[in-house]
Amino acid sequence: MRCMEESDDAIRRAVLSGDKDAYRVLVARYGQVVFRVAYRITGNETDAEEAVQETFLRGYQRLKTFEGRSSMATWIYRIAANCALDIVGRRKPEMGIGEENDPEKREVQLADSKAGPDRMLLSREIEAAQQAAMEGLTPVERTAFTLRHMEDCSTEEIAAALNIAPNAAKQAVFRAVKKLRQQLAPLWVNP
Amino acid sequence: MKHLNEIEMIEHYYKESADMAECERHLKECAACAKRYAELIRDLKMVKTPATPERGEDYGDQVWQSIRNSLPVYEAPASRWTWHQVWRPLGWVAACALLIAVGFLAGRHWERRQAPTVAVNADPHARQRVVIVVLGDHLDRSERLLVELNHAGNLDAAATAPLQNEAKELLATNRLVRQSVSDTGDLAVEAALDRLERLLVEVANSPGKLTEDDLKRLREEMNTDGLLFDIRVLRSHLYSQPNGSQDGSRSTKGALI
Repeated sequence: MRCMEESDDAIRRAVLSGDKDAYRVLVARYGQVVFRVAYRITGNETDAEEAVQETFLRGYQRLKTFEGRSSMATWIYRIAANCALDIVGRRKPEMGIGEENDPEKREVQLADSKAGPDRMLLSREIEAAQQAAMEGLTPVERTAFTLRHMEDCSTEEIAAALNIAPNAAKQAVFRAVKKLRQQLAPLWVNP
Repeated sequence: MKHLNEIEMIEHYYKESADMAECERHLKECAACAKRYAELIRDLKMVKTPATPERGEDYGDQVWQSIRNSLPVYEAPASRWTWHQVWRPLGWVAACALLIAVGFLAGRHWERRQAPTVAVNADPHARQRVVIVVLGDHLDRSERLLVELNHAGNLDAAATAPLQNEAKELLATNRLVRQSVSDTGDLAVEAALDRLERLLVEVANSPGKLTEDDLKRLREEMNTDGLLFDIRVLRSHLYSQPNGSQDGSRSTKGALI
């Protein structure tokens, strides 16, 4: 049984030396974080669970390519963001045409979404508007905004996670903020 | 006064503005920008971070169990150290072998350049001198053997063995000398050496000790007296040649009857 305090690099070397089970420590160490990021990007538990599994599968397959230029946590974080983004991208085409912009449908979707304790405190109207606004973002915009606004990532980290240029990452955040504000603006007419 | 646009305000909100202090100063001085910035803050603060569903402490283990069977085992990289250990001594052995080979070849090359045999082979007179010296020695030894045979009585086993050994050695030498003489075309010498060889064969290969009868038979059949005479003539003829002249010590080597 491997010690949980063992360094990430030591575990990486052990895995690459043939000790597959050493990877369990990394999964246990970063599983919660990866789930949180995946959930915030995908917006639902099922997709988040799938993203977590895919993240650790990809991470294992690419372990040889990890060069240690960033921390293992950052590296896994990037993979998680990518996996979640891929899942969101795959999910989009499955939606019916017009469904995404249909307020009635959107309302139904939001009613089905799982509600956390914090969200219960928000008014249903604001919550629905926020969710609707988030749904209106492209996957890249949504991921960039989530990483920026909720995960407090820097532009460089977002760019690395999405494998895009820093300026493109910054523009994605700007576009997301603009769209969100436009969607949320009607709420302030009668706050 | 240059007002802040929305992008600059967003940058400032996320603390990524190129000049935070300048933005801050402008927002304090410009009421319009401050109002717009306050609205931005209000909107963005409304976008709450959704609560993430709780996952148990063993969530990592659950994920691990779900993916474990899909993961291949990395092959441990071949230990370079081990190969290094094997190849290093082999490398030394190869280097030593190469050094020895080079030394050997260099030595042979040097030897060939220095060897006097080249000069001997190249010079026919020198080669002839070598043949004469060898032939002279051979005739001396053969003469002594014949003298012993002619004067031997009933030899015991102890006395026969050295005689036979000497005959064996002379037989080997005689063949080589006879071949060399054959190349020179001297028929008289070749004939004498041929007769000598037959006698040496008889003596060398005689089973057991040589009895008086055996010796008598050999003297009669082989005409050892005549052979001895021929050899003496040859030897004297050999030493009388200009190339065959030898020093005093050599001339005394001949056995006296």
